[in-house]
Amino acid sequence: MNPEPFLQLDRVIHEKGRLAIMSLLAASPELSFTEIRSTLQMTDGNLTAHMRTLQEAGYVSVTKAFKAGRPHTTYSLTRQGQQAFAHYIDLLEKILKQTRKK
Amino acid sequence: MDQSDWASEHLQVIRTLMERSAVYRRALAPIMLVAGALGIAGSILACFAKLETNREFSLFWLSVGVLAVIAALLLVRRQALKEAEPFWSPPTRRVGRAVLPAFLVGLCAAALYIISPKSLPESAWIVAIVWVLCYGLGLHAAGFFAQRGIKLLGWIFVISGVVLFFALEGWSRLQSSQAAHYVMGIFFGLIQLSYGIYLYFTEKRRSA
Repeated sequence: MNPEPFLQLDRVIHEKGRLAIMSLLAASPELSFTEIRSTLQMTDGNLTAHMRTLQEAGYVSVTKAFKAGRPHTTYSLTRQGQQAFAHYIDLLEKILKQTRKK
Repeated sequence: MDQSDWASEHLQVIRTLMERSAVYRRALAPIMLVAGALGIAGSILACFAKLETNREFSLFWLSVGVLAVIAALLLVRRQALKEAEPFWSPPTRRVGRAVLPAFLVGLCAAALYIISPKSLPESAWIVAIVWVLCYGLGLHAAGFFAQRGIKLLGWIFVISGVVLFFALEGWSRLQSSQAAHYVMGIFFGLIQLSYGIYLYFTEKRRSA
């Protein structure tokens, strides 16, 4: 089997928690911190750490605002993030096809 | 686990999460059952009540509609609390935005009939069919963000509404307030109740 697709998998996205975040954001124009946290049942610290990694990779953009006097943070995928996620899915499908052919 | 299993499992997880983010997944059966029961009760009550003007007709059915919307929102809230999810979640927001334009047109039609001076038999059936069409369009739009045949139900309302428009236009005997109440009872009562019963059994079987 050609191991190339597996080796090409983006390590930033490949981590379980970040993959879950990317999947949620890929299906929604934007999501708030609390929405992501409650959907994935992550701790604040865990989610913040993953978000920082995704932001540093340029995959996620953050908007901070105030709603009813309280801070409201929303996240969305950047164009680069959308492309990286689409590429990641393509690679997974390639791996599946390769192994099915065998 | 070999790479094939691993990849397909990953894709399944991604799909589930994307659906969770985009698709409205709360149980629709209780909402449809309550809305259908209210529709039937409304049409029975309307047949006995003496609703003689457009204003009375529109206000009566508008009240039934408002009751149904309040009941639906309370049910959605209850389900959200039960699942420890936010009430106004992204999928709920999308469904709300999708139905809004069509429901707004229906509301405007009601407002127009409340101020219209025409007597009931001549025009009540028109507003009933407009509501059927608006509701169908709203359901169809919501169907893009929900599962379980909502889009199909929307089509049923839209196609039946259009057919009724032509049938009633050509058959003057049906242009009565009684016919309008029957239209309301059949569409907002019987059809919704039947769909609710169907969902009740299929949703249960799925979650079992």
